[in-house]
Amino acid sequence: MDPARRLGPAQIDVVAQLAVSTVLLGGIYALIAVGLTLIFGIMRVVNFAHGEFLMLGMYLAFFAFTLEGLDPYVVLLISIPIFYGVGWLVYVLIMRGVIHASHNVQIFTTVGLSTALQNVALVLWTGDFRVIRPWHSSVVLRVAGTAFNLSQVVAWAVAVALTIALFAFMKWTHTGRVMRATAQDRDAATLMGIDTDRVYRLTFAIGIACVGAAGVLVSPLYAVYPQAGLQFVTLAYVVVVLGGLGDMAGAMAGSLIVAAVEVAGSYVFGAAWKEVFYFLLFIGVLVFRPAGLFGQRGAETLGA
Amino acid sequence: MTRHHLVFALAAILITLTAVTAVVQGQSGDYKIGVLEPLTGPLAGEGKRHLEGFEIVRDMINERGGVMGKKLAFVVADAPDPTAAATEATRLATREGVKIITGTFSSRLCGAASEAAARQNVIYWETSCVDPRFNKRGLKNVYRTEIDATGFGWYNVEFIAKHLAPRFGKKPGELKVAFLSEDSSYGQGVTESARQRAKAEFGMQEVAAEYYNFQTINDFTPIIVKFKQLAPDVVHHIGYTNDAPLFWRQAREQNFLFKAHVHAGATGYGSADFGKALGNDANGAFALLEPGPGFRIESLKPEGQKIEKEFRDAVQKRTGTYPFGGHQLAGGGLWLLKVVLDRAKTDDPDKFREAVMSLDLPVGSTINGWGVKFSETGQNANERVQHYMLQWQNGELVTVWPEEFTTKRAKWIPLGAWDQRK
Repeated sequence: MDPARRLGPAQIDVVAQLAVSTVLLGGIYALIAVGLTLIFGIMRVVNFAHGEFLMLGMYLAFFAFTLEGLDPYVVLLISIPIFYGVGWLVYVLIMRGVIHASHNVQIFTTVGLSTALQNVALVLWTGDFRVIRPWHSSVVLRVAGTAFNLSQVVAWAVAVALTIALFAFMKWTHTGRVMRATAQDRDAATLMGIDTDRVYRLTFAIGIACVGAAGVLVSPLYAVYPQAGLQFVTLAYVVVVLGGLGDMAGAMAGSLIVAAVEVAGSYVFGAAWKEVFYFLLFIGVLVFRPAGLFGQRGAETLGA
Repeated sequence: MTRHHLVFALAAILITLTAVTAVVQGQSGDYKIGVLEPLTGPLAGEGKRHLEGFEIVRDMINERGGVMGKKLAFVVADAPDPTAAATEATRLATREGVKIITGTFSSRLCGAASEAAARQNVIYWETSCVDPRFNKRGLKNVYRTEIDATGFGWYNVEFIAKHLAPRFGKKPGELKVAFLSEDSSYGQGVTESARQRAKAEFGMQEVAAEYYNFQTINDFTPIIVKFKQLAPDVVHHIGYTNDAPLFWRQAREQNFLFKAHVHAGATGYGSADFGKALGNDANGAFALLEPGPGFRIESLKPEGQKIEKEFRDAVQKRTGTYPFGGHQLAGGGLWLLKVVLDRAKTDDPDKFREAVMSLDLPVGSTINGWGVKFSETGQNANERVQHYMLQWQNGELVTVWPEEFTTKRAKWIPLGAWDQRK
């Protein structure tokens, strides 16, 4: 008998649990996607090394916890300036050289960076799967027939806060306005006296700070190993395209949609199908609404 | 014209140099074999452990006079994916001139590597991969010392039917089993053979059979919610290293209760990383493996006792731990290669094959308590490559079955509530 077709109180619990799982998983995806959508949206660079910065964030949390006994939530505070610095450096050393080059060159550069970072991690820290177990990762919260993990709830809350903060920053601050102007038309922005190089540097640094923080936050939930980033990053691209490039609220909504497709698809049809469903969705959006479900029409070609 | 001459001259010099190097290698006191393992990429963790196992046993072999009168040496190559496995196998044979290649542990790699080796007419000696198709391709110089995935499935169902069912007070036919597996040829091979035997031989009730991709699974909750409604007695889950801890943690969160959980192989629940990830929360999970703590060395033949003891001491000396699955498969496999070479006294493929086929050692004769009897397809026999069920008990994976081989006993049968497994 197909369990999905049974009705009754047990079924209500199931639906509630699936909904909770969707929201929490969506939060994790959003956390990873906001930095990507920022870089993608403003700089028009597909950062294929995004997942590797996530992995580095996870390693930071791992070593801080195992060597210094620091809780990931303490590390979170340190990680933001650290990864801001890392992003700044990577921009100055690598990205600045290719920012005006063709998309192909940018793709090769970031893919190369991704491979290099993975292998540096492999050389330095081996291929072992490493896991930390801070107290909150084994705290289970049970509410009305549903169960969830405390670390997951915190990751979700930070994801929401981060998305709102970035949204507000982009919308209401002067710097945010400058960044949006640069995204819309790089040349016009330059003519208006905007230092686009500085804008890109700032964008990249903020984007990497976000994903580094995301890595720290997911470290109690998932094992870290040199390829850990790959597990999430293809999803993040789907999310960014669904939500519209550079759209923070869109990234949040896109994450929820991807998580819902994954959770419902796994429950009803089986886990083997989940990628089929969300990549069909991905292709569908690219065909029918290339600007994303929530993006402004034509946004995908802006600044190209 | 002069430019062309220059190119030819360069080519001639290069060819001569290569030939000279090859001759120099041949004359040295080393006998080189190719070792192909994933040393980078997602499989690198286990690949490196295998390499460590190979190196430990290589040193043991050299302390005992090497092979064919020479010191055994390795040419190590990295095979992160099937394409690299094939090109590196070809390079080892053509450029490095090795006559024997061993490796690659992963079922994702061994097919491609052995195919390429066979094309160069070199001997391919697999120590660990379990893809059932491996020995069914009519390749005459391809051998495998470990049993295949169908053997894993066979042993797992044997354990469920003959050991678990009576302890639950049930007949095997009354058991409800949920199958869950990662979708590579390893997971599929084990799961499909277990499903078949469970149904055909014991009439067990299959309530679910679910596959997933271990590299992209981020949440098991939907599957666990579904399984909870199906209320299986036994969960048969073949997992890798990142997905197994995730399933176990989320099953605990969802308070998914089952009577037993069975896995096979040195990854996932059979990996040391699982215990590290979960501490005492890991308690109760079973994994079919090579022998672990509790293993009664006295249950082996005298010559098996001796070599097993020396092997354990060598691993202890190098790593400070009891041998892990990777060490045992690579080490046990390489030791068998030495036994064959001692007998064949040559790496000529036909004479080597004769030596392999003539080996007939009972269970308990060598490292891991294995015996040897190869079939015409180059596969060591299921019933000779003795396997053992291990269980996580307070941070340690201990041998619990078959009981004649061990001092330890399976606990928590049936598994109680999650917080009662102490």
